[in-house]
Amino acid sequence: MKVGLKIWRYDSTSGDRALREYEIDAPEEATLLDCLDIVKDRYDGTLAYRKSCRMMICGSCGMRMDGGAVLACKTRMYDIAQAGHVPVISAMGNLPIVKDLVVDMDPFWGKIRAVQPYLQPRYDQATEKENVVPAERMEPIHKESLCILCGCCVSECNSMESDPDFLGPAALAKGMRFVGDPRDGAAVERLESYSEEHGIWDCTRCYFCQERCPKGVDPRDAIAKLGAEAMRNGIDRDMGARHAKWFVTSAKTTGWLRETELVPKTQGVVASIKEIKFAMGLARHGKVPPPFPPHVAADVNESRALYDRVKEQGRDGAQGIVQGEKALRHLSHEAEGADGAYGKGGDYPTPYLPQLEEKEKA
Amino acid sequence: MHLAQAPAGACALRLVDPIPSSPMGETHDVLVVGAGCAGMRAAIEAFDHGANVGVISKLHPTRSHSGAAEGGINAALGNTADDSPETHAFDTVKGSDYLGDQDAIEIFTREAPGDIYQLEHWGAVFSRNADGKLAQRPFGAAGSPRTVFAADITGHVLIHVLYEQLMKRLATDASRLTVYEEFFAWRLVVDGDRCVGVICWDLLRGGLKLLEGTATVLATGGAGRIYRTTTNAYACTGDGMSMALHAGLPLKDMEFMQFHPTTMYPTGILLTEGCRGEGAYLINKDGERFMARYAPNALELASRDVVSRSEQTEIDQGRGINGSVLLDMRHLGAERILDRLPGSRELSMTYAGVDPIYAPVPVRPGAHYHMGGVETDEWGRTELDGLYAAGETACVSVHGANRLGGNSLMETITFGRRSGQHAAEWSHSSGTSGASGAGSAALGDAERDLKVLLDRTTGERPWSIRDDLGGTMLESFGVFRREEQMSAAIDTVDSLRERYGQVVVEDKGTVFNNDLTQAIELGNAIDLAACMLQAGLARRESRGAHSRPHDHPTRDDENFLKHSITRWLDGRPELSYKEVRMTKWEPMERTY
Repeated sequence: MKVGLKIWRYDSTSGDRALREYEIDAPEEATLLDCLDIVKDRYDGTLAYRKSCRMMICGSCGMRMDGGAVLACKTRMYDIAQAGHVPVISAMGNLPIVKDLVVDMDPFWGKIRAVQPYLQPRYDQATEKENVVPAERMEPIHKESLCILCGCCVSECNSMESDPDFLGPAALAKGMRFVGDPRDGAAVERLESYSEEHGIWDCTRCYFCQERCPKGVDPRDAIAKLGAEAMRNGIDRDMGARHAKWFVTSAKTTGWLRETELVPKTQGVVASIKEIKFAMGLARHGKVPPPFPPHVAADVNESRALYDRVKEQGRDGAQGIVQGEKALRHLSHEAEGADGAYGKGGDYPTPYLPQLEEKEKA
Repeated sequence: MHLAQAPAGACALRLVDPIPSSPMGETHDVLVVGAGCAGMRAAIEAFDHGANVGVISKLHPTRSHSGAAEGGINAALGNTADDSPETHAFDTVKGSDYLGDQDAIEIFTREAPGDIYQLEHWGAVFSRNADGKLAQRPFGAAGSPRTVFAADITGHVLIHVLYEQLMKRLATDASRLTVYEEFFAWRLVVDGDRCVGVICWDLLRGGLKLLEGTATVLATGGAGRIYRTTTNAYACTGDGMSMALHAGLPLKDMEFMQFHPTTMYPTGILLTEGCRGEGAYLINKDGERFMARYAPNALELASRDVVSRSEQTEIDQGRGINGSVLLDMRHLGAERILDRLPGSRELSMTYAGVDPIYAPVPVRPGAHYHMGGVETDEWGRTELDGLYAAGETACVSVHGANRLGGNSLMETITFGRRSGQHAAEWSHSSGTSGASGAGSAALGDAERDLKVLLDRTTGERPWSIRDDLGGTMLESFGVFRREEQMSAAIDTVDSLRERYGQVVVEDKGTVFNNDLTQAIELGNAIDLAACMLQAGLARRESRGAHSRPHDHPTRDDENFLKHSITRWLDGRPELSYKEVRMTKWEPMERTY
């Protein structure tokens, strides 16, 4: 089949960059990685990209296709080629480009190292044989331990775009892999450290990491689990934690969100005084309901019952985060073949394209 | 790139200026080349024995191909059924078709359980039984369910736990551990009767670099990429075997390339033996479970050489489909597949377009694992002082003529550990090699050769030579081997070496020039192919993975119960033989 590719070429020694178009002949089963190999072999030996296992386990070949991160070896080209679409291939986002599709992963590894990515055993003295741990107690870190550190999540992370020091989805998922491990004895220290600035509460919950993770790790869920575990352990100094807690308190007591109290509860009384002018402005436009008598929602008992039910279940902390549980099972359960599992050709969301690309197109 | 607090020239990269070659390299007590399971395990052990360790890897450590291992790792824990190291040893000896060295196998099976417990203590996320102990699944040719596993991503779990332990040691004492990531190891530096370092090409910044080590451990993995289709990663090009060969060291049992029975059509991507361990069937186009005719007792769980030959016979006799047979998991049910084999399902869906819950997957034998490699003793020592080898690069030999599934991951851990320990101890006792000038001389030679290669502008690019080599080996040195095909292939490989003499590297740059490293890898592959073919042609018998049904269909213990030894002399492989070390098991007829 004929496959067209537009590839962003970049040379860090000269700073030159250019969008090159290639048309190649590829076998029908070809993946994006196979197509890049054909380009490198037969058309341009200077094209640079990382690759190794070609079976989505080594994590080398993260790159962007039409502006969203993919593993090149997991991306089948048949439907895309049949649709006549010529995708734009570029290096991953949020990391400096070294050459063509190769990024400098050093900032990425630095953040992995920052979460103390190794077990800190709960016991001083190792048992003679294995630690006996019920299988279900390992379940909370099942997904996190699937991570191949490819960087696709980091490439798409919105928070990291505005705060390059944000620990980011991959490192935090790695952190959850240890916080949730019953054999680890440093959960509280870890949660304290992950709750600092650039940590779990700086995530904007855009879910792009979850959307783009090629292995079903669901990093945003991991961050949610860390947040829940932090609060369960009373680590709630951060505004993000206090904000979340107030939502619960407010819903439990009056069945709705009491926004007037949200600011002092989240930011503290002193910081809220600075917001008085803004609040007065809102009040003038009738946007602030009178605080007394407190308005109680008609169906408040429903929300209180819901709260009680959750408490009864004892699903505190990470146990309460159930979304997307059972990794890899999120793949559709029908006999649909490869295409159905990964979207049809051309059906690739485009969160944001490099601005330069738009310019050059014009 | 570099994990350590940076020594000069190895600092965290902010890329702009490529750094030119420099004779001023770094010096370590122990250099480890390769950072898969064997390399990282060796590095950890050497570090724990007080050595200053440098790890060289052409990939980031977690990208190494050990991570692609799926089914599990063998140790006689006896958690699921009665088992013992002796049974494990006998299964391994029998599986090796009696070519494995029995003293090494006994050490291996005795030390394996302790190594598994240690991995668990380090945090490996293994699958568990209802009682909370490590679960074990049946695997091919094993007398007991002995394969410890993590669903079907065991290698992934191991490579990450080893990387975690490396990070832990880096956090403890960064002055004693440097990881040279994306450094391509090219040549060993030999000073008289000892190995004193490695010459590398710095992929990210360009430039040759001399890294000196009192001891050096080769752990660069296998060479499956010699074949056109293989389960192996692009990185598996036999670099370590070739470096040792060209430094004058012997390679052992190079004719034994294992063909794994379940690799997917058309990509060659692996589906784990764990599928059959969990109960999957192999069927032919008539829906018959044909293994009943070849291995009536073990059926699908006969040893890999037996299953691969059976499949190839079915295919050759017209009972296959598109050159494949079918791996049928449907009767296992969705729940078991999703719980125990989720990765295999994902691979089948992505690369074969088949959901194994609903349809059988086309599979065929594919090049998978090199039983042969750099000859070592049970401490990983080679015949050159200061040089060690571990993992698939090495041939201890515990696998003999045919490896059992689950034994290779265990080998990387047990012999990685032993090599790392011995290398560290040896480096402390032997003293440094001193400034002999061998390093700078070798670097000068390498620079001259590199210049010749990069200056060449007309000739053939590597890919066509690589494709011809892969096709030749697949056709002539596969599951079944014929005298005349092997002879012809030797000539073909010679002509490929001639073509390679005029190979052109198109990328002349310094930054991430893997056009250059891929050309060097091809040179390695060509010479290793020559070694394999010559050893195969000379072994006039059928043993383990080496099968000659047309002229020598049976095992010949009288003449060939011995290891082949290949050295590189005057641009050609030179063959000799060496006795197999036996302890308590006499060769018997091998049936499953």
